[in-house]
Amino acid sequence: MIVLAHAGHWLVQLIYVVPLAVLVGVIVVGRIRDRREAAHEQVREPEPD
Amino acid sequence: MAAVLVVSFLALASGWSRPRLERLRERPLFRIPLAVEVVLGGLGVAAYAITVYAGLAGTDFQQGNLAPTAVYVGFWVGLSFLSLVLGDVFRLLSPWRAIGRATGWLAARLGGGGATEPLPYPDRLGHWPAAAGILAFVICELVWRAGRDPGPLGVLMLVYLFAQLAGMGVYGVEAWTRRGDAFGVWFGLFALLAPVARDGRGRLVLRAPAAGAAGLQPLAGTVALLVIGIASTGFDGAREGPLFNGVRGDLQDAFVSAGASIGLGLELAFLAGLLAALAMVGALWRLGTQGMPRAGSAPDRAALSRRFAHTLVPIAAAYVVAHYFSLLAYNGQDLWRLASDPLGRGADLFGGASSRIDYSILTATAIWYVQVLALVAGHVAALVLAHDRALVVYGSARAAVRSQIVMLVLMVCFTCLGLWLLSAALNG
Repeated sequence: MIVLAHAGHWLVQLIYVVPLAVLVGVIVVGRIRDRREAAHEQVREPEPD
Repeated sequence: MAAVLVVSFLALASGWSRPRLERLRERPLFRIPLAVEVVLGGLGVAAYAITVYAGLAGTDFQQGNLAPTAVYVGFWVGLSFLSLVLGDVFRLLSPWRAIGRATGWLAARLGGGGATEPLPYPDRLGHWPAAAGILAFVICELVWRAGRDPGPLGVLMLVYLFAQLAGMGVYGVEAWTRRGDAFGVWFGLFALLAPVARDGRGRLVLRAPAAGAAGLQPLAGTVALLVIGIASTGFDGAREGPLFNGVRGDLQDAFVSAGASIGLGLELAFLAGLLAALAMVGALWRLGTQGMPRAGSAPDRAALSRRFAHTLVPIAAAYVVAHYFSLLAYNGQDLWRLASDPLGRGADLFGGASSRIDYSILTATAIWYVQVLALVAGHVAALVLAHDRALVVYGSARAAVRSQIVMLVLMVCFTCLGLWLLSAALNG
């Protein structure tokens, strides 16, 4: 309860982690994109005769 | 804060395994009409002319004259922030570029094909004229006592204009303003971090923030320019804290006992402090690049320094935002009063001559959070840029991560230095 009551004090400290959170988001989105592109390329590859 | 950088490094090591910033994804928006360029260029020339006139013809009282605040707050700080958000706006507002282009246009119309072609810009000059210009500017700002006086400032502005006209006359408007013009290059570096830019066809494009820095083409003097920018901002912070103030008196006494006047002794003490900051930042960068392994595309330290020079851009921007945010927020308000009475002679052109700075718009805590957030974001961006470039230079993710351990230490050093300077300035 005490922790929640003083959330205003410590929540604002999380502002320092914002750049890290953005970076993690960019990495996750990049990996999802990579997988999608890899999947598309597999679909496009012509079937061997 | 250092922990955020270390965790960012680990996140990059584990999840960023191929270069993503070398080929930028840009979303085109629209082309900026020529009329907008002409109007903004005209506005830049008008603002420049009014500021020079205020400096030369207005009151000698710094706080009563438009010129010092317009140059050191509106121009130097304001355009840095604007470039970070809106991209290379200074190219549109630059008074000397506007004059140069207008002169070229007139010469082409009146003189036909008789005008002589500009000389090719020498590779060895690179960004050195810009680096020298920024160094001269920060000496005026931080070292020379009269550098903030309206009269000398007006004269210096004219001298700089004539230097730019000469440079453009010899090497051409675009070549000179992109490489030799100190402010064109400096604001252009900051614009690389903006989420908007102009592509090769003149269209406005959207892109990921900070990603544009990967497209920096480093020239001779680019690293020196960035080191000067970081060191001068750091020194400006140290000037307000106990570290430099503790030795300033001793330095001044040493110069006075060597024959300098008291005033000159103080200026030389400030110059020594600035040069020491330059040497320290330069040495840190040298250590960082020395610690990276050599590679086929970067066989020596100088080549590595150039290939990773773009990582200094977000650090320079972080230092500027952290150090000058409060100055812009508070003293920037004073531009309204000074624009209403540019000469300080009691005029009230826009009805703002009696306005005062409202210091309640931001609390000290809010400023602290913005400063720290800027420092952390700038250094995380630098780590990302360095990691992405290392993937290109070293070929494999494993080698790239290994090569960047020393860069991580460098970023932690720069962050700690920035935070320490901020806290020292607050306590000083």
